[in-house]
Amino acid sequence: MENKITQLRKGILELAVLGCLYHERHYGYSLIKTLVGEGDLDITEGTIYPILSRLFKEELVKAEWVESNQGPPRKYYSLSAKGEQAFEVLNAEFAKLTAMVANAVAKQEKSSQNEERKILIVKKEGEDVQ
Amino acid sequence: MSNDFSEPVGKIVDNYLRKLKTHLKGLPANDQEELVKEISSHIYDSFRSDTTENEVDRILKVLDKLGEPADIISSRMSPAMMKMGKKKKLPLYILAGITIALFGVPLGLGGISLLLAFFLTILTLVFSYYLIAGSLLICGWLGMIVSILVFINPNFLDFLGPEVQLSPLTPDPTLNAVISLALSVVLSVVGIVLIWLGKYMMRGIRFLFHLTFEKIRGFRKKRGPEIQTT
Repeated sequence: MENKITQLRKGILELAVLGCLYHERHYGYSLIKTLVGEGDLDITEGTIYPILSRLFKEELVKAEWVESNQGPPRKYYSLSAKGEQAFEVLNAEFAKLTAMVANAVAKQEKSSQNEERKILIVKKEGEDVQ
Repeated sequence: MSNDFSEPVGKIVDNYLRKLKTHLKGLPANDQEELVKEISSHIYDSFRSDTTENEVDRILKVLDKLGEPADIISSRMSPAMMKMGKKKKLPLYILAGITIALFGVPLGLGGISLLLAFFLTILTLVFSYYLIAGSLLICGWLGMIVSILVFINPNFLDFLGPEVQLSPLTPDPTLNAVISLALSVVLSVVGIVLIWLGKYMMRGIRFLFHLTFEKIRGFRKKRGPEIQTT
């Protein structure tokens, strides 16, 4: 199960990172804070860095070092034009996928309800016969 | 970097970064430096954002949330490096399939003795192969020496008695020596080639052994799910 969760997370986390950077630039730590927010998603913070470096290699994000008024400089990431495009495409796809999952679950619930009803009807009929 | 921290905290951070660096070996120097800088910046920000506990507890919490150095670099490895393990498996499974077809999976006592016999046969074959190759080589060399000596001194073999002669194909002893020299060269070349070819044979056999042991071990473990996440 752990495996399934990490697999599922991997792709979606990447999309979420792109989404975060779509609106403003972030450095690693602020990106994590924004992603996790007040939610209780327990995410190993370090995993954000391989994602960022992969996106950087794919030229979807740009990076620059900015001096911080306190402490060491920070590496800020922002989306490239290619990254913005990629996010829009992926986001649309993601919306379709979530709709699909929601649909599938809803349909199944409906059909199982139907089945229950059928069973009830059969039972009633049985009672009638008796 | 870690100068920004008090002494015990700085030590913990340094230790963590050192561990990270050892994981980064093999990456371009530039990438290594950047990532270490980035992570120390992260540690600093994370450390500063929380002011509740005492410093050592805080830094430990920060590093715990950050995760193991391995988490930070997992997908920085070149794709080739990550794939290595997977690629090897495919032909292994095919060959494993063949061995299963030959011996049947639940080996049992009969299967094991069959397997043992199989390997003993292979070992014997290898042994005799090298024996032949080696003796061809030695034969060739000795032949060469003898024919050269005979070439120099036609009466060289006389001390062994009249029965021992260099194959008298032609009445001319010099031509005889030349022919046997040529034959000896051919013999030793064949010996060398056989030994050289043996290298490939050994490789194949090592693969076969490896495969079998892997299979047996895998069977014992009853193989849990082995999906790799990269």
